[in-house]
Amino acid sequence: MFEIRSILWLIPALPLAAAALTGLLGPRFLRKNSHWPCILAVAGACVLSFLVLSKVVHAEAPFVERYYTWMQSGSLDIGLTLRADGLTAIMLITITFVGSLIAIFSVGYMSHEREHEAGYARFFAAMALFVFSMTLLVLGDNYIVLFAGWEGVGLCSYLLIGFWFKKPSAAAAARKAFLVTRLGDAGMIVGILLLWGGYLSTHTDTSVRPVADNLIGGLASNLTQASPADALSFDTLFRWASSTRPDDTESQLFFGTVALLLLCGAVGKSAQIPLYVWLPDAMEGPTPVSALIHAATMVTAGVYLIARSMPIFHAAPPAVLLTVASIGAATALLAALIALTQHDLKRVLAYSTISQIGYMFLALGCATTDSLVLVAVTAAIFHLFTHAFFKALLFLSAGSVMHAMGNVIDMRRFSGLRTVLPKTHWTFLCGAAALAGVPLLSGFWSKDEIIGAALEASHHAYGSVYMVLFIMALVTAGLTAFYTFRAYFLTFWGEVKIPPEAGHHAHESPPVMTIPLMILAVGAVGLGLIVQPFTHWFSHLLEHHWLHSAFARSIEPAPHGFNVPLMLGSSVFALGGVGLAWLMYVRSPALPGKLAGAMQGLYQLSLNKFHVDELYYVFFVGPVTLFASFCQVVDFLVDSVVDLVGQLPGLAGKLIRPIQNGLVQFYALAMILGLTVFLSALVLRLAR
Amino acid sequence: MNDPLPKIELLSLLFLPLAGAIVVALLGPNRQELVRRVSLGVTVVVLFLAILLAWRYVEEPVRSMTTAEQLPTFRPVFVPGSPGTITDALNRPQPNPHGTSWNLIPFGSAAIQFYIGLDGFNVWLIVLTAVLSLPSVLVSWRQINERVNEFYAWFLALQTAMMGIFLSFDIVLFYVFFEFSLVPLFFLIGIWGGPERRHAAGKFFIYTLTGSVITLLGVIGVVLACRAKSGELTFSIPRLVEIVHERLLYVPAERDYWLGVQGVVFLALMAGFAIKVPLVPFHTWLPLAHVEAPTAGSVDLAGVLLKVGAYGFLRLCVPLAPDVSLTMGLPLVSTLACIGIIYGAFCSYAQDDIKKMVAYSSVSHLGLCMLGMFALNPAGLTGSLMQMINHGLSTGAMFLLVGMLYERYHTRKISDFGGMAARLPLLGAFMVFVCLSSVGLPGLNGFIGEALSLFGVFEQQWLVQKQFPWYAIAGAAGMVLGAWYLFTMLQRVFFGELKEPPVVGHDSHEPITDLNLREILTVAPIMVLCLAIGVYPQPMLESMKPEVDSVSRIAQMARERGSPAPALSLRDDKQENRTP
Repeated sequence: MFEIRSILWLIPALPLAAAALTGLLGPRFLRKNSHWPCILAVAGACVLSFLVLSKVVHAEAPFVERYYTWMQSGSLDIGLTLRADGLTAIMLITITFVGSLIAIFSVGYMSHEREHEAGYARFFAAMALFVFSMTLLVLGDNYIVLFAGWEGVGLCSYLLIGFWFKKPSAAAAARKAFLVTRLGDAGMIVGILLLWGGYLSTHTDTSVRPVADNLIGGLASNLTQASPADALSFDTLFRWASSTRPDDTESQLFFGTVALLLLCGAVGKSAQIPLYVWLPDAMEGPTPVSALIHAATMVTAGVYLIARSMPIFHAAPPAVLLTVASIGAATALLAALIALTQHDLKRVLAYSTISQIGYMFLALGCATTDSLVLVAVTAAIFHLFTHAFFKALLFLSAGSVMHAMGNVIDMRRFSGLRTVLPKTHWTFLCGAAALAGVPLLSGFWSKDEIIGAALEASHHAYGSVYMVLFIMALVTAGLTAFYTFRAYFLTFWGEVKIPPEAGHHAHESPPVMTIPLMILAVGAVGLGLIVQPFTHWFSHLLEHHWLHSAFARSIEPAPHGFNVPLMLGSSVFALGGVGLAWLMYVRSPALPGKLAGAMQGLYQLSLNKFHVDELYYVFFVGPVTLFASFCQVVDFLVDSVVDLVGQLPGLAGKLIRPIQNGLVQFYALAMILGLTVFLSALVLRLAR
Repeated sequence: MNDPLPKIELLSLLFLPLAGAIVVALLGPNRQELVRRVSLGVTVVVLFLAILLAWRYVEEPVRSMTTAEQLPTFRPVFVPGSPGTITDALNRPQPNPHGTSWNLIPFGSAAIQFYIGLDGFNVWLIVLTAVLSLPSVLVSWRQINERVNEFYAWFLALQTAMMGIFLSFDIVLFYVFFEFSLVPLFFLIGIWGGPERRHAAGKFFIYTLTGSVITLLGVIGVVLACRAKSGELTFSIPRLVEIVHERLLYVPAERDYWLGVQGVVFLALMAGFAIKVPLVPFHTWLPLAHVEAPTAGSVDLAGVLLKVGAYGFLRLCVPLAPDVSLTMGLPLVSTLACIGIIYGAFCSYAQDDIKKMVAYSSVSHLGLCMLGMFALNPAGLTGSLMQMINHGLSTGAMFLLVGMLYERYHTRKISDFGGMAARLPLLGAFMVFVCLSSVGLPGLNGFIGEALSLFGVFEQQWLVQKQFPWYAIAGAAGMVLGAWYLFTMLQRVFFGELKEPPVVGHDSHEPITDLNLREILTVAPIMVLCLAIGVYPQPMLESMKPEVDSVSRIAQMARERGSPAPALSLRDDKQENRTP
């Protein structure tokens, strides 16, 4: 019915049009209706995404469409090329579906801003721009288009974290987020350059005649014979990467370098060690932003990047994948440990996001053998998918709490809200249970796949390390359950306590907020069960519409089965965590205080986030700032040298000025002396 | 090709501003509004002409492409005058493809000619000059209230000088315009500048003049060298390039001679251009001149005049001294450019004066421009040209916005401000946009230049030279550092708690208001251009292709002369430098 060519570009174009419309006309004309373009466009993109999925499922090969040439010169040819395959379709649906719900929720949440119309329009313009960039990121068929989306989401994140720019902390957080992620992006762009150069150098015909020969009589030949457009597009690059022989160590090394550089970008964007420090601060943004950008979609872009580039990571030495897995597991554990003691509800969720993305990285890092590739990518993308639902749900529920509490988010200042906010209570509980990995909920299934993948990987290269990572993942699962339910019990149980900021109107949020919450809650509870463990929709989609086109050689995925003992084990960890939280925060609320007192050192360490921010400041920010001042001093010196040189003619003038002393006798003497010298020279010359 | 209309347009593009300057000067100091209107009218017409010519150039059906059989050189179109004649070895008149019949000063058989025209290198720089002159006039509308007619007269004279530099294809004519451009700017800074204006104007004038005098030696040197060996005296840049390559290609015995000449010529030409770009460590006149210059002067200085240095490298240094550009210029200029990228960014961060910060950011950005140029391949050269245009647009816009801020508060110190986005939301939004364009956000213009340059540099260093790609890494570091100082400035000035400097000056009783319509019209078109170039740059890149191809072929021939084996043996030793 529809050509995929004509709908693919509409998916980013609709939100872009909405962003332009809202940005230009919003403050003047749309005013209180500024949310409509954004909601309609994102919902429209969502419908189109489902359409794309239906097309992809019935297609033999991925759709690739080059719309126009972006920039082309010499051996560089970058086209605006979009692609649709299984991986893209999943990402698109996640982004646009969760995105539309969050956009609807925002109408209620941002109602305070409706009076200041400019802010209201600015918010929805940036949200629409974000959806545009994010869809472009996942639709791009070459690394430059991907990078364009990548930077675009970074910009929107900057604009939205700094939405309340009058708050110094928000302004600082926005800058920090942009700069820290850009640090990773610099590595990523070098990686892209390297990949491009490597492809060109291996696919260029050496028998190019020199230009000078052509001059004397011949035809012009291009510098390269491989089409430069291929050197950045996914299909050719991945085919090249996956067809390298395993014994070709030089190529392995090359792909390893590329993979590590791409990983830099992924680590920055997805807030992993060592660049995770921006994400907790990013909670300064409005809560829907935290839900959409800093939980469901943008921060998972790094996971998408690695999954998309899996052929390259797979062609690299196994140590690279081990690095990915180790970064993931370490981040998961560290963030979970920090989340244990935070008082700010949104920060707990932020650290939990970092931790969950760590899980996804761990999953991706498990693709050490051919048979594990599909298992690993499915686990990561499946967790990305379920996480988008339950984490967006948790953030929005927290937002609903904030909305009712007059923007107070410190869990020490409210409690017992389950009677005050009954609907929010239930939706939060659904999200928390899914995050904690309570059996049969979506988080349980996806996390289980990851832990299973780690266990699987421990039978192959670097097995013992993967075993350690597996244990870390299990422990983190327990910690996750604990801190999630700690937050839940602290907020919704105990005696009713409402901060004065809430006023007398602490009440449940309006339907425009609760209905999206309920839809997300249904997703968080049920989606995991439906799409993967029994139907295998997810793994089939990825196998038939991603795996076979991404790898040049055929890859046999491992058969899918349940590891029942593992499931039971992880259930024990999850339920244990929940139980412990119940024990400590409901049964005997004095216990946490005593425990914190007993382990003061550890408690303070976790509360102060292991002092990582301060360490970075001392070892990185400080010296760099100092160096800037040093450069200024150097510049002063350089300028002084210039001025000094400028003085030279004057000095020279001063030196010879005494000669011009105005005494006629002196001039006469000088004349005669000069004449004498000249004449003697002449005479001597002639005499010779 | 023989349609006279474009030629007339080209001439009016060049001389209309000068005519305007004379008219404005004669109008006298008392008719201020009239002076402003006349200047505005002139700039609007010039802009219209520039756009018309660019459009004609892009549409030009028989644009003279250099074919593979021809020696690479420049082939300008719309050259005023008839093609002209030269006498060949047997004293017979021959049609001259690289000249015009408009002789200025005859020298026996040859002459210094009024040889101007359009090609892929200058067409967009002409448009840039015209585009930036309009906001400069508008922004000075209320800023300049003393000696208004003189201000606009010098300003319009500067337009002619800059147009002349870009349009000239006669090397002496080029040099004359090159030197002439100093005079109007000297007066613009020296009369209408800030408190230190005399010092700044003097330093700017003497520093750049010193460099240009050495450049003159290079100019004379190359003309004489060509005459000495080929017996042909010519001042036409395309012909000089052709002679150099004829001799290099067909007379192997002269190779050593030409290498020596090239070395001297390159260094002499570089002396003037490196100061103009400016390359570190010859940059210290720039921050001072910028800080003291009136806004319109800063815009033209950063937007157009700095490009003259880079343009000189591109038009003269590389084509006339290809072997030395490759063996000495490439490492020398690229290293200085890399230092400039990093060093300029750090200096920029350390500044408390916004204008000074922008000035140092120019050092950083033009470092990338030079880096891309000395990749000496199509991607790098195109990127370098794009970087010139993009830097002109975004830095020009930034100076305009800083000028508007200064007009309101009479201070530019970052520490005096805070949270200005709440007070001046539109100015803040514009500033964010311009900063994004400057840090190379994909979709805006900055990214195009950066990406092309980086790819070009990477290709040159890693694929052709087989070295570790330091230059590209420095360029990528520049992207991070650029975001660092610009976003820090944004945070300090526009975000956070409102901190307004006390309003002083004659208009202190007026409340501070956001941008008015005139100011919006000043900046918004530049922003639209930034977006348009960022989204669809290909038509521009396409129109640059003939000249870019010529120069990259020149460089490629030099590579082949330099290495006995074919230069592009990529496959054999691709693995050598794959170190992380």
